[in-house]
Amino acid sequence: MAEEAAAPAAEFAPAEIEEFKESFGLFDRVGDSQVGYNQVADIMRALGMNPTNKAVVAILGNPSADDMANKRVNFEAFLPMLKQVDAMPKGTYDDYVEGLRVFDKEGNGTVMGAELRIVLSTLGEKMSEVEIDSLMTGQEDENGSVHYEAFVKHIMSV
Amino acid sequence: MQKEFPVFSLLNSALNTISAALLIQRWYRQHVARLEMRRRCTWNIFQSIEYAGEQDQIKLYNYFGFLMDHFTPASSERNLISHIFRKNEICLDTEWERYFCYKSIEVTKSYTGPHLTFPVTFCGVSKLVEAFKHKEQLHARYVLQLLGETWRLLRTFPNISHVIACHTKPITICGDLHGHLEDLLLIFYKNGLPSSDKPYVFNGDFVDRGKNSLEILLTLFGFLLVYPNDVHLNRGNHEDHIVNLRYGFTKEVLGKYSVHGKKILKLLQMIFSWLPLATVIDNKVLIVHGGISDTTDLDKIARVDRQKYASALRPPKMKSDSYLESKTTETDLDEWKQVMDVLWSDPMPQNGCIPNEVRGGGCYWGPDVTEEVLRRNNLQLLIRSHECKQDGYEFCHNRRVITIFSASNYYEVGSNRGAFIRMGPDLVPHFIQYQASTTCRELTLRQSVGWTERSALQALREQLFVHRSDLISAFQEFDPNNKGMISVTHWASTTERVLNLGLPWRVLRPQLVSSTQRGMMDYQQWIKELSITEPKLEISDNSILDTMYKNHSNLETIFRIIDTDHSGLISFKEFHQTWELLRSHLKTEISAKAIADLAQSIDFNKDGSIDINEFLEAFRLVDISAHN
Repeated sequence: MAEEAAAPAAEFAPAEIEEFKESFGLFDRVGDSQVGYNQVADIMRALGMNPTNKAVVAILGNPSADDMANKRVNFEAFLPMLKQVDAMPKGTYDDYVEGLRVFDKEGNGTVMGAELRIVLSTLGEKMSEVEIDSLMTGQEDENGSVHYEAFVKHIMSV
Repeated sequence: MQKEFPVFSLLNSALNTISAALLIQRWYRQHVARLEMRRRCTWNIFQSIEYAGEQDQIKLYNYFGFLMDHFTPASSERNLISHIFRKNEICLDTEWERYFCYKSIEVTKSYTGPHLTFPVTFCGVSKLVEAFKHKEQLHARYVLQLLGETWRLLRTFPNISHVIACHTKPITICGDLHGHLEDLLLIFYKNGLPSSDKPYVFNGDFVDRGKNSLEILLTLFGFLLVYPNDVHLNRGNHEDHIVNLRYGFTKEVLGKYSVHGKKILKLLQMIFSWLPLATVIDNKVLIVHGGISDTTDLDKIARVDRQKYASALRPPKMKSDSYLESKTTETDLDEWKQVMDVLWSDPMPQNGCIPNEVRGGGCYWGPDVTEEVLRRNNLQLLIRSHECKQDGYEFCHNRRVITIFSASNYYEVGSNRGAFIRMGPDLVPHFIQYQASTTCRELTLRQSVGWTERSALQALREQLFVHRSDLISAFQEFDPNNKGMISVTHWASTTERVLNLGLPWRVLRPQLVSSTQRGMMDYQQWIKELSITEPKLEISDNSILDTMYKNHSNLETIFRIIDTDHSGLISFKEFHQTWELLRSHLKTEISAKAIADLAQSIDFNKDGSIDINEFLEAFRLVDISAHN
């Protein structure tokens, strides 16, 4: 999977921006029309993007741990960040299937759940055990295998 | 052509693995974030509909209060209104004792429910709890006897209970239960039954909404009688007979006790007014149901004659012969505010103190008010309930305020956990969370979000449905050529303006509107699709139907007030008078003749009176609301 070049940032339609603003408001727990730096990644994801945490930290200007915990941002400042992330490749159904196929040792459409768990907890932006359990619940068959095309369809259907 | 270099292919494979991991991780985190947003949306829907209902009721009550203050004695509606603000009958306690006497009620051999001996013992109450667990019902005789003892006991208590925390006996503090017996049983299971070694504080809202409000009360009162120094009950805003008319408790009691229900309700009304208003632990931790305001004064609260406030919704009148000529003094109003604030207020993140317009009673108070009130009264922590929290509890105001809520699955199965607090002499709160489930299956996060969401959307569709005439008129302002189309942006802003629920309509749109074309939608079609009930009556006038649907809860409240002997029937005349009164409040133009016709058509038994339940049933929306 080669890294794709980022497409030029497209403009959001005014109606879209109104909707983003509403969603932004849902995450404001303080009532100052802002959200914390540490919420920015999740809001972007809620709006249909899926950046890595690293990408978001870079877009926020590489803030310190203290800043991440305490600084807040308003919608006007957030919108250009969202645009940047929107321009990043998001990953299609095929990408995910290809990504999982990497672990398909026997080429039979399944991956070992146990292997997937190890990879997700040790590589990339590591997931916690709770997160992994939540992801994998009900996905492994009696042999501990995951049929990944069905898996991807299932998770993309939210 | 690529040569086969083992190192390169290993590296490539490792990179692929990491890319794959990153992709899955990114995707998973997006999935969780989207669920979280749906969950918040759903929560907002439930909460705003709930609070709008409370506000509605208070507005209605205020309206009648206004009428009371302004009606001349010659007015023919006077009798009707004085029903609503029935004088607190000035009886001697001995007269009440006679009225509530249980002794003439016989427990026949055919009764298979639990028996209670008096004075109650720990054993007796534990057996009662077991019986309730098995869905048995306590005989009316025992109910009245238990309530009578409770009333007598509560009259000896001060307005503010004082408790000392002790090493060997940590104190357990529970929040709203709202008739959820399964949650109370879960708390007892996890924490143990109340006893002198296990003191409890129950912070109000024991009743309404859930199906077992009465069983909860009987249980709590039972333990109170056995351990009066170790069980502390605070009054909540739902310990109020007017609120109970709307939110289900009155109906529950009358349903379970058809013969003696009226007496039981009257006795409960008095018990509620005698419930203490606050509990203080070690002079350091204040526990009240709602909260505080900038004028909260514990000394004043301690001196109030609390039993004057049978319903906190209206300032009490001075006792006098002519109900309509009495006046409330400034002291009365000041005291009334102290009580309302403590039962109805909610915290807000911003500094200051403003009236709580959303609920219609009490205040919104800020962190500066918390600091000031705590400092003034030498306290270090405020524990309150009143608001449902997803995790059962929540800190705010720099951790100086805790909200504790003990009814799990409050809005819907899977909507939230319940929690209780355990506190030792160090006054550090420890939280225990739980979730009652009637099915043993554990829902995945996604399933429980989906379930709750479906229920919330249904409740929301009902709200949209009952406001459909207003919505259509408002949409037409943006559709001057009458094409039946409106932009999504206008749809969202207009819907908010009409419903006033503060909801994220654009986010909700895909769930509420089936299709749009290039940002436009067919609103007439949309309204048609919302239609969720077939009228059960032959009424051609849609505006009457709409008005009935919209004011269903208000009508129910008023009818139950008018029906003083709880017979379930009101006369045509009373119905007509009620309508006349409501007309100006609801700003509706339905004529007297239309109402008379309506009354005729709903006189199902043709006996000159209207059966309240049949009437309400005729105008009930077929799909169940979130609160049934």
